[in-house]
This record gives sequence, structure tokens and C-alpha cells, in this order.
Amino acid sequence: MTGAAVLPRTRSSSRTRVRRRVLLFTGSGLVALFVLLTVSLTVGEMPMSAGTALRALVGLGDAGDVLVVQQFRAPRAVAAVVAGAGLGTAGCVLQRLFRNPLASPDVMGVTGGASLGAVALLAAGASQLLIPVGALGGGLLAALLLGAFAWRSGLAVTRLVLTGLAVQAGLAAAVNLMIVRFPAELAGSALQWTTGSVYGRTWTEVWGAGGAMVVVLTVALVLHRALAVLDLGDDSAGALGLRTSATRLQLLFLAVALASLAAALAGPVTFVALAVPHIVRFVTGPPTAASLALAGLTGAVLLLGSDLVVQHLLPVEGLPVGAVTATLGAPWLLVLMLRQSSPVRRRQP
Amino acid sequence: MTVTRRGVPTGVPSPALRRLPLLLGGLAALALCAALSLALGARSVPLSTVGDALFGHARGRDATVVTGLRLPRTLIGLAVGAALGVAGAVAQGITRNPLASPTTLGINAGAGFAVVVAIFALRLDSPVEYVWFAFAGAAGAALFAQALARRSGDIDPVRLALGGTVLQLVLLSWTSAVMLLNQRTLDEARFWLAGSLSDRPLDVLWPVLPTLLLGLVVALAVSPALNALALGDDSAQALGVPVARIRLAGGAAVVLLAGSAVAMAGPVAFIGLAAPHLVRPLLGNDHRLLVPGCLIAGPLLLLAADVLGRMVFRPSELEVGIVTAFLGAPLLALLARRVAR
Repeated sequence: MTGAAVLPRTRSSSRTRVRRRVLLFTGSGLVALFVLLTVSLTVGEMPMSAGTALRALVGLGDAGDVLVVQQFRAPRAVAAVVAGAGLGTAGCVLQRLFRNPLASPDVMGVTGGASLGAVALLAAGASQLLIPVGALGGGLLAALLLGAFAWRSGLAVTRLVLTGLAVQAGLAAAVNLMIVRFPAELAGSALQWTTGSVYGRTWTEVWGAGGAMVVVLTVALVLHRALAVLDLGDDSAGALGLRTSATRLQLLFLAVALASLAAALAGPVTFVALAVPHIVRFVTGPPTAASLALAGLTGAVLLLGSDLVVQHLLPVEGLPVGAVTATLGAPWLLVLMLRQSSPVRRRQP
Repeated sequence: MTVTRRGVPTGVPSPALRRLPLLLGGLAALALCAALSLALGARSVPLSTVGDALFGHARGRDATVVTGLRLPRTLIGLAVGAALGVAGAVAQGITRNPLASPTTLGINAGAGFAVVVAIFALRLDSPVEYVWFAFAGAAGAALFAQALARRSGDIDPVRLALGGTVLQLVLLSWTSAVMLLNQRTLDEARFWLAGSLSDRPLDVLWPVLPTLLLGLVVALAVSPALNALALGDDSAQALGVPVARIRLAGGAAVVLLAGSAVAMAGPVAFIGLAAPHLVRPLLGNDHRLLVPGCLIAGPLLLLAADVLGRMVFRPSELEVGIVTAFLGAPLLALLARRVAR
């Protein structure tokens, strides 16, 4: 099944069918993204028409509208889109790298590290602006720990997953320690950061993390071919002239950077990275050249939609978006799991 | 000794006999840990006084500390550790997955969510009141995970691990959401959610003692069959082992044991995962030895972690759940390095 990405297809009809499905999926994803973006700009405490909102976005119209749209709604929406795209792509890369349907930044401890970084800066009394930097540093720290423990003349898959769980647990313990020791109001803020939320993002944060994210996403798309070769298995990939360990390390670093940057914007939002690759595989079948980009698109739509649900549809205010992504993502993932559990079973070592 | 020999098929040298020194050494280490747990803390008591206090010969503040605070704490620690260790061994056996543990089956998360909701809605404020909510939450989550994993009457190990992880993530985020709704809930729940043995009277042990013992009996009863299960479902079936029934019984044992543990101490991670991984290099893969081994290794780990937590930040102390996660994490990383290739 995994070989289909690079082997020549024998049946052209199935190829066109896959291509049509991919195109359809991409189209509907883009439309959904546009609609959700417009909704996120128009709905809120100060409702306005879509036209007014779009004009306010470029600085035309009533000064109050411009302020609300440009300074409050737009950064939040962009943060959700960028973080979602990063998480979706990171999850897709990791699941194919580890050939494990449970691999995700959550399982590996990257998001745990990001929360630790954020909470540690909160504890040190740093301003809200510095917290994404802390999240990024924490995510990279987790990845370094992971590499240090798991590296042993190459990166074996089982060892990486096990080590990731270990790193994750240790970092989560550190966060837990801080939450227990903090005064109550700081503990609430820390908890918000460890559940994931895009509340109150500013352009400064969005530009910094978003710009870096675009660069890393581009590199990830370029490296897609190496990922496809790794899909064939280590022996075949080696026979094809790929240095498997070095390539795996590069891809791993990319995925970590994507997840950390996403966590720097939105905190460790659960489930997007875990669920998105399953959704993409369910819709488009075996991985193709388009699946990484599609994972990014799906992640963006998912996170933006969840954030809108948090903002406008729920009766309770101030819930973190992570709670909604988990609630929405879980049934999805369970349905997928129930449908395809036999291939999943065979992939288990 | 003859009894042990009789239980083993003829022609095979008794593994229990060969490993007897190891089991005895483990028991000795456990006794030492229990003694330290009685003696050490914010107010350290000499071991001789501890002995006197236990037999009722001593009076005074030291004796009160030992019998009033540390004895319940140590007993609860023993029970929680034993339950978690055995639950971990059985969970790994029935799922054939070295990453399985009570935590990955959603048990800790279920208990946490139930307790947080109870604190929020019913305004509870002491660990004794949480016991049944925790047990109900744990059992509910575990049964749900197992229901998800059922497939033509049998529990699919991979679906169990996947479903449990999914459930755990959802419950954790709901727990955070409920805690964020109201400051009082956050304040009460965060200490319980860290997992701790302090401030627990023996009243938290008595209600769950029957479920704990029942779980232990079931776990020990299914452990020989887990060896056959390790060969794969088809081979086990061919050997005449009722695979589906064993897995169901094992799942029930995990729920009873881990549910009781979390009801007493709150979510303590890693003991259930680490204990079997610690015992396996010493005693081998035979579940007839592994499960009793975890019965010793679990409390050993938990008590050692608890004593350590009391010693690091004297006179304040570190919650045992935080210590186990801190210690268990590098241990697992090192084990992963050694075991997984």
C-alpha cells in the first residue's frame, strides 16, 4: 500500500480516480478555508457584513471596524490557520516516518516541551510576547532529548516512539509541578497554555512564528520525495541510494520545527496532528505527492473551524480551543479506526 | 518448594526456583523501603522508635507521627503500588504491547475527569469524598475503551491501544476545560490531579480494598494464560487457551486494580508502565513470574518515589505522581535504548 507513491501505476483508471478525489478534496478545502476566514472576520461582539469586514481588512471604512478586524480578528484567524497547517503537516510527516498511526507531536513529547517552555517563561514573569519563544525553545529541547536518548547508530522506530513517550512524560511532570506550585491565578493561565488556545494573539507573534513556518513548510514539501522513498522500508530505501538515518533525522527535525512553531502560536492543541493524516488518508487513499500539502490545508481548516466554535457557538466563554479539537477529532479518528483497523493491525510490529 | 515444583510441567526446570533469590531480594528491598517510608520525612524518626511505635510501646510526638501519618501513608502506598504494577503487567500481556499501561487505557484520565466534574458540580473538597467518583470514572473510561476495541466478541489489542489513547486525550482536554471554568475547581483539583499519598487517611483504602483484592486474584489467575497469548492469538487458540475470555478477564482485572489505585492516590503515572519493564530483564518473560514480580516491584517503585519526594524539598514535599513521572521518564528512555532495536 505504501509503495504506491513511487511505483508506476499499472491501472490508469484508478490513477485518474485518485487524482479526481484529490482535486475535489483540495477545492472543497480551499473553499471551506475562505468561508471560515470570512466568518471569523465578520462575526463577533461587533457583527458586520462580509463586504465591510473585507474592506476593513485593507484599512477602508469605519475606524472602529478597521481596528477590530485588523488588530483582533485577523491575527487570531491567521494564527489558527498557520498553527493548524503546521500541526497537520507535522503529524503527516511523523506518522509516515514512524509507520505508526499513533505518532504525533503529542506522543513524541514535542508539545509537552513546548508547554514546559511557555509555562516556565510564565513562571519567570516574562511578558506574553516572549511566551511563543519559550514554547519554541521547549519543543526543540524535547526533540534534543529525544535524539540524545534514541540515537544509537541510527534511529530505530520502536526506540523513537518509546523514547518519545518517556520524554513527553518527564516534561509533562515538570509542567504539572509548576501548576501545583503556582498561585491559583497563574495556574489558570498556565493551564490555558497547556491546553492550547489562540486567544489574544498579536501580529508580532503571528509574523515571527508564521514566517518561520512558511519557510519550514516549503522545505517539508521539497523533501516529500525522500519521505516517499522511506515509505518503501529501510532496506529498499538504502538500496535506492538514500542515507536512511540522515534523511530520517532531517525529516524528524522538520516535523519538530513545524510542531514547535505551531505550539508557539497556539499552544499544544491536541488531536489536529493526530487526526489530520488519518482524514487525508481516508479521503485520498495511499500517500501521493499532494498529501503533505493536503494535510496542511486540512489542519488549517480544522483548527480555524474549532476556534470559531469556541468563540461563537459554545454557551461558555473562555474555553481553550484544544478542548474542542479533541472533542471534534476523537469521533472522527474513532470512525476511521473502526473502518480500517485491519490494515492498522498488520502494520504493528 | 514441592508445591512450586508440582505446578510446572515435567521436564522443564522450575523457573520459580531459579528466580527465588531474586524474589527474596525484591521482598527485602520492599521491606527496607517501607521502613524508610515510616521513618523519613519532614520529621525524621529513628528506626528503633518506629519499631516501638508500631508495637504500641512508644508515646510522644514521634510515635504519633509514625502511627497517625506515616503508617496509613505507607499502607496506601503499598496497595497503590501493587495495584498499578500488576495492572501494568496484565495490560501489557493482554494487549501484547510494551507501551500499554493503565494510563494508555484512559483509566487515569477517566478518574481525573470524573473527580474534576464532581468537585465542580458537587463542591467536594477532600480526597475521601473523591474515592467513588474516581473509581467510577476510571472504570467508565476503561470499559468504554474496551467496548471500542471489541471485535466479534474479542478485544483487538491494537484497537484497544488506539482507542485508549484517543479517549485519554479527549478526557484530559475536557478536564482542563472544566478546571478553567471556575477558579475553585482549579484550586481543589490541581493537587489531587498531581497524584499524591499525603493527607490520605486509611478511610480511602477500606472502600476499594475488596475491588483491589478481587483484581489481584483475577490477575494472578489469568497470568499463566498470558504466556500463551504472547505467542499470538492463533497459536494460543491452538494451545486450547480461550483467548477472548482471558482477554476479557485480564481487562476486568486491569480496571479493578488501576481503578482502585487511582481512587486512593489520584493519577500516578508510570508505575504501571515501568514495573513490568523493570521486572522483565530480571525474571524473564514468563507471566507466572512477571505478575508476582510486579506485585513487588510496583510498591517498591512507588514507596521509593514517595520517600524521595519527601526528602528533596524538606520540610515541604513533592507529590509522588510528579516524582514517578520524573524518575520513570529517563528510566523508560534508557530501557527503550537497551531493549528496542
